[in-house]
Amino acid sequence: MTPIRANGAIRNGLIAFAFLGYLILIGIPGRIGGAALPVLALVAALFFWVRLRRDASGTDGSFPQTASPTGKPGWEIGAPGHTVSQEQVMPLPGAGGALAIRSGLLAGITTGLLIAIVSFAFASAIGSGASIQPVLDKIVPVNVAALIGVSPGQIANDEVPTLRYLLLVLIFTAAGLLAALAVVAARVRNPQKAPVARLSKSLDSQLYRTVARFTGILLPFLLLAYIAWLGIPGVSAFGSNEGTVRLLLTLIATGSGLFALRLVRPGREQNVVAPLLALGALTMPFILDQFQNSVMGLVFIFVMMGLGLNIVVGYAGLLDLGYVAFFAIGAYTYAFLSAPFSSPYISSLLNLLAISPEIPLLGYWTALPVAMLTAAIGGILLGIPVLRLRGDYLAIVTLGFGEIIRLFMLNLGELTNGPRGILEISQPGLFGLAPQSFSSGFLSSQGWIFLLALISSALVAFVAIRLNDSRLGRAWFAMQEDEDVAEATGVHLVRTKLLAFAIGATFAGMAGQLYASRQINIFPENFSLFVSIDALALIIVGGIGSPAGIVLGALALKGLPEVLRGVDEYRIVTFAALLVIMMIVRPAGILPSARRRTQVAAPDEQALTPGAEEPVAKELDGDTARQAQAASPQSEAVRDKEDQ
Amino acid sequence: MTALLSIQAVTKVFGGLTAVDNVNLDIEERSITSLIGPNGAGKTTLFNCLTGLHTPEAGQILFDGRSLIGLRPDEIIARGVARTYQNIRLFGRMTALENVLVGQHLQLRASHWSAVLRSARQQAEERAARSFALELLAFVGLESHAEVVSTNLPYGEQRLLEVARALGSRPSLLLLDEPAAGMNPSETDRMMELVHRLRDEKGVTVFLIEHDMKVVMSVSESVAVLDYGEKIAEGTPEEVRANARVVEAYLGPEVVLQDTVATSDI
Repeated sequence: MTPIRANGAIRNGLIAFAFLGYLILIGIPGRIGGAALPVLALVAALFFWVRLRRDASGTDGSFPQTASPTGKPGWEIGAPGHTVSQEQVMPLPGAGGALAIRSGLLAGITTGLLIAIVSFAFASAIGSGASIQPVLDKIVPVNVAALIGVSPGQIANDEVPTLRYLLLVLIFTAAGLLAALAVVAARVRNPQKAPVARLSKSLDSQLYRTVARFTGILLPFLLLAYIAWLGIPGVSAFGSNEGTVRLLLTLIATGSGLFALRLVRPGREQNVVAPLLALGALTMPFILDQFQNSVMGLVFIFVMMGLGLNIVVGYAGLLDLGYVAFFAIGAYTYAFLSAPFSSPYISSLLNLLAISPEIPLLGYWTALPVAMLTAAIGGILLGIPVLRLRGDYLAIVTLGFGEIIRLFMLNLGELTNGPRGILEISQPGLFGLAPQSFSSGFLSSQGWIFLLALISSALVAFVAIRLNDSRLGRAWFAMQEDEDVAEATGVHLVRTKLLAFAIGATFAGMAGQLYASRQINIFPENFSLFVSIDALALIIVGGIGSPAGIVLGALALKGLPEVLRGVDEYRIVTFAALLVIMMIVRPAGILPSARRRTQVAAPDEQALTPGAEEPVAKELDGDTARQAQAASPQSEAVRDKEDQ
Repeated sequence: MTALLSIQAVTKVFGGLTAVDNVNLDIEERSITSLIGPNGAGKTTLFNCLTGLHTPEAGQILFDGRSLIGLRPDEIIARGVARTYQNIRLFGRMTALENVLVGQHLQLRASHWSAVLRSARQQAEERAARSFALELLAFVGLESHAEVVSTNLPYGEQRLLEVARALGSRPSLLLLDEPAAGMNPSETDRMMELVHRLRDEKGVTVFLIEHDMKVVMSVSESVAVLDYGEKIAEGTPEEVRANARVVEAYLGPEVVLQDTVATSDI
């Protein structure tokens, strides 16, 4: 057993090294600067923790889906006492502790040694003046210096103290130890001990849970305070990366806010924390700068899209790959109504009506219902021809519809100004005030867009959640489960499907309008297939059917790429790798809806439920056993022969 | 007493195969009628014609004096004809309670706007729907499993849940497609008792397809027999059991003369 364990530990170390090596090669240490070494060590520790925890539990690679103690359907079936929970994953006998620590240490040393060797090789190569940059473009003094923890000058002059490499090894060894200790500590809480010990442990874990819960609830506020502090003129951290770091922190703060919402108990606690979180979210547009606001604005425009698409795909189960069409319809409708118009057809039409084409026809708020209605009509027009289509066929037709709308915008130059786009779309005002008059001082123009996106998303989420919780939501889900049976149970398929398409399209239309005013100038190429794919990907990553998951998905898919902009051309590869890892670790999405969670957990439970056929057949006499068989039609012929 | 359901010369053809051939059948109100026949006799096809999944090529189906031909399945259930399925077709990822709530879909009238705004009326309607659903679950004996995801229910209870879902629409005629298939003896007894209670307590007319002759003989007041799409016999269980054509359809022509010994074991 021991040699296998050692092999396993070294393999863990090698994998961690490969991963960190990639981060080093794409220049991450140089971007982070002084904090590089601790951050890399933390990443390694996280990885070791996952691996060791897996080894200790002896299960396969996926995280156990822990059940929330309340409101979880389906757990009470099956053998009593056999519940799927945290306890299930750490049933190793006591001797496992030392083993875990040893393999943690071994893995840490492996990673540390390899990184020390590599960094020594890079440092001495750079020090001796070898030109490695043409081959490995990120291996420059800044990057290597950050990795070893010295100044770039020391690298260039080849005067790195040997002690530094030893420290490097030690730090990663400590990371391995830390991971092992975390695994062992978790096992100590396993309540299969004597009653007294068990009581003290349960108190302990109660305390632990409370602390964890309050930390979770406080985290978004702390992050927000830190972001605000970083925004004060004169305060600086992270050198030239301050903007990116603040954006990253904003993304994390928003995401942790969602987790905090899940951590609070319903009742008084929720009544206090939820408004505070909302207030915190609303302050973000005011404290962020133009760049961060513009990214966050885009993120929340995509949240609206995701929530709309989620109604079609997540609730009603209709795979729509042409969702960008409604986004484009919303954007162009608003553009027609609010841009000083340069399209010949509409300009001449307006001249004919003695209206000056230079002045916007409608403001943002008066145009909003028009854009929503137009998009909804678009949704119904798409919905009607695809009513009879299912699965792949539906996806292909909707894909085509998305492209038709884009090509329509591109080629109908008379109406849409073709590839030259529509320019100078007016900005949303407030109660007749021009946007400039109130957004100049404390709220940047992008901040205003972010604020609007935030409020609109909240509204859209509210409507979506409420609808899903009504008979319409049940009809949608029933239709997704079995269309024929849903119809035979009384669901009007045409109406229910068209409602899904229309409501989804309405939300996309709102998003499109806000997008148009954010971009100021829009072109057909803004509405390519990739927008549909992004919207679909973000609801899959976040967790289909779960509004909170969609927000997280949008943060990850539209926000993170902007943060990763620092790593230049490696951005897309890194991002793709993150996506793949995420889908392996959490196949149902980051924050899956309750229904999807049960779906993922289902195989376990199936084992718990006594199978219907086999045990039944055993205890039956011959006659009734044949009736049991009659469930499968094929067996009936056999049965008849037997009777003869 | 006029018939609640009147099937008149219904014919359904798939390509060259006549699945249901000129079938006539009347079902009295508050009766329990069984439809039996060898595999492929067209029993489920007839059910599908009744519930709008298939449209018959010829014939007339009158329910409560009005024609069901050409109506969509959701219009037919609105008239009061609900059904269960031979291969259980529950909404698998929904809980037992939610399945029954979907069954009540047509009973709920609140607008979608009021659902967004959670108006008092809509909330009251939802509460009533929920308590009716729980009542139905209790009726079939699943009250303790209301929050269980339906795929996780044992097989026999899934069949019971299908009945509860069908009852959600407050039907006057319930079509049960092999309700006891795959059940063990105690579950079968529970199902037979339920069929009786459906009629006695809920006043529902029951029309069922069944292979288990013990169920057919003990539960039904009249039995109709289909073979190759044609109705070959109709009558009380005893009459049907003694019918030579039925025995032939089930056991083949060469054993007809051995008569009752074989038929009692069908």
